[in-house]
Amino acid sequence: MPKTKKDKCKQTNSINQVRYGCALGALHSVTAIPGAMPITHCGPGCVDKQYMSLAFYNGYQGGGYAGGAVTPSSNLQEKDVVFGGAKHLDQLIAASLKIMEADLFVVLNGCIPEIVGDDIGAVVARYQKKGVPIVSAETGGFKGNNFTGHEIVTEAIIEQYVDKFAPDKTTKKKGLINVWAELPFQNTFWRGDLAELKRILEGAGWQVNILFGYGSAGVKEWLTIPNAEFNLVVGPWLGLKTAKLLEKKYNQPYLHLPILPIGAKQVGDFLRSIAAFAKENEVKTEAFIKREEKEYYYYLEYFTDFYAEYWWGLPASYAVASDATYNLALNKFLVNQLGLIPAKQIITDNTPEKYREAIREEYKHLADDVAAEVEFIEDGYLVTQTIKQGEYGHKPPIIFGTTWERDITKELNGHIVEVSYPVSYDVVINKTYIGYRGALTLLEKIFTTAISKSA
Amino acid sequence: MANESLRQIAIYGKGGIGKSTTTQNLTAGLTELGKHVMVVGCDPKADSTRLLLGGLAQKTVLDTLRDEGEDVELDSILKEGFGGTRCVESGGPEPGVGCAGRGIITSIGLLERLGAYTDDLDYVFYDVLGDVVCGGFAMPIREGKAKEIYIVASGEMMSLYAANNISKGIARYAKKGGVRLGGIICNSRNVDREIELLRAFAKELGTQLIHFVPRDNIVQHAEINKKTVIEYKPDAHQADEYRQLAQSIEDNENFVIPTPMTQERLEEILLEYGLMDNVEDDYRI
Repeated sequence: MPKTKKDKCKQTNSINQVRYGCALGALHSVTAIPGAMPITHCGPGCVDKQYMSLAFYNGYQGGGYAGGAVTPSSNLQEKDVVFGGAKHLDQLIAASLKIMEADLFVVLNGCIPEIVGDDIGAVVARYQKKGVPIVSAETGGFKGNNFTGHEIVTEAIIEQYVDKFAPDKTTKKKGLINVWAELPFQNTFWRGDLAELKRILEGAGWQVNILFGYGSAGVKEWLTIPNAEFNLVVGPWLGLKTAKLLEKKYNQPYLHLPILPIGAKQVGDFLRSIAAFAKENEVKTEAFIKREEKEYYYYLEYFTDFYAEYWWGLPASYAVASDATYNLALNKFLVNQLGLIPAKQIITDNTPEKYREAIREEYKHLADDVAAEVEFIEDGYLVTQTIKQGEYGHKPPIIFGTTWERDITKELNGHIVEVSYPVSYDVVINKTYIGYRGALTLLEKIFTTAISKSA
Repeated sequence: MANESLRQIAIYGKGGIGKSTTTQNLTAGLTELGKHVMVVGCDPKADSTRLLLGGLAQKTVLDTLRDEGEDVELDSILKEGFGGTRCVESGGPEPGVGCAGRGIITSIGLLERLGAYTDDLDYVFYDVLGDVVCGGFAMPIREGKAKEIYIVASGEMMSLYAANNISKGIARYAKKGGVRLGGIICNSRNVDREIELLRAFAKELGTQLIHFVPRDNIVQHAEINKKTVIEYKPDAHQADEYRQLAQSIEDNENFVIPTPMTQERLEEILLEYGLMDNVEDDYRI
């Protein structure tokens, strides 16, 4: 095999098999907020490409009220490049305001206008002065991926909308928390996951601004962001930047819990950490955990017959190739609750350099006696090579990855559960793999996949 | 498409060095030699053909494109100037918006589609704005377009810095295609030992000083009258200078891939030719 040339980050100079969108893909963070509408200022095909990849061939999540074919776009042509597209954007905004009903409009620009220097902020400012709920976000693709774009969009909404329209920015409401967790649409199961996250947090006594998805009260919920007692960042890194902004802006502390909780053990730790941080809701938290665990273990009790008896046909080791949030969450669950052996861990979301060391540390104590190494790789070729090198013992492994990992899974004669973008062989409506309920669904998925392989 | 004997020439140089003046005067000289010449102004200011046309009478390619769309006639953007020269101005967006570089690409593309490059042409000159700031302004020297480049410079330090930088760009494109540097044209600013400095500079770049155009106020007089010197005062000495430049370009066979120098080497040459002599002792204003 030829030697692969890699840079200092151990990456090749190309990325085969996409595992995220571009910054403009964060238009999906807007469509995930009930009542919000993106207006895109970009070339023909940009929105379609982001939609088809992030929201279609990824669980077939769909466009809904403001996404997919609905999203207005200036569809920039050569004329706009040469003479600037600001006037065109102005026309698009005016037209959108006429025919699109929304509580908040978010103008996102793509690479073309950002390179030729269209001042979208100035165009949008004219509408803002008239009191129109509209913000602008500079999401040129070269700014980074859709994770970066998500942070840009979130910050734009907070700075240009929430800060201006929130009726009360100083009062803190006891027990109210803002939750910053998964990246809508990129995380294929975000709808179900955020619903479960909200359910367990409410169960433990909190009032929750979940901010995205069906469980969110939409744009008006965003206006209560300044009133939250604190911000809760769930996951290894996404959301930290926003939490720090809010800390400075509204004097809100934040709690960072890197592990998105899957299963009784992690959910218990998760809820107790929050109660301990805020010194609140301890009793409600314990009561909720007790109630939920009773139900959770009721189901597990019956499941154990299968798990104990079918040992000969089940995988013992695994690899995960996914975004940081799901990667760490799955590792914790698989090691602590199923006793599986971690072989290869690959984070594919281009995690910003400054967070990587802390993430590596998390893998060093997955359990008291289990540690793993994690690698940060985005290129599909290298992901495949890395999985191939895993030590899986004498039984075929189970791979938690994306549709791209189907080929290497076949080669290893293993099993695959698609958990990360792109998930093209699952139709996802509101399925969750987290919390108490999602953990049971995940168990069903893992072992149905394993035993049906020979069917 | 253009005939094989067509010579496409791009003129580069620091802003304000006199590219447009030189280009128009030398093309006037070429027409006297019976040559058919087209001048394409590649500067958003659209002032590259003013002397040939007797004023800024012309609508630019991009203005036309903006107002009338793609469906434009060649006649509306190509005007005949002094000595039968065909004059086109690319134009560009208003300052501060859009992308002028892309504008150059768009307008040259349009000229090709409209059939501006006719078989009877002997020369096409691209007069490109001073500081080449992005890839768009390198359009004229991309593959299949201008193969010859002349850099207009003077003995002033910044003009030589610019010329050396432009040479770096030419060297880059030369590796991919046939573009070559034909020489340096000195548009004199009456700097001490200017001709020696320019010769040494050209030699260091591996090229020649193709002509030294002396400074003469008649150029300014002609410009005020919206004319080339050759038209304004055909019997003036300066008119002969431009005729000689035209002849030198007509006869030129010295085309090279330039060897741009390091900043240090450039400064060494400047020191050697006295540009920086006595700076410390000279307090004259």
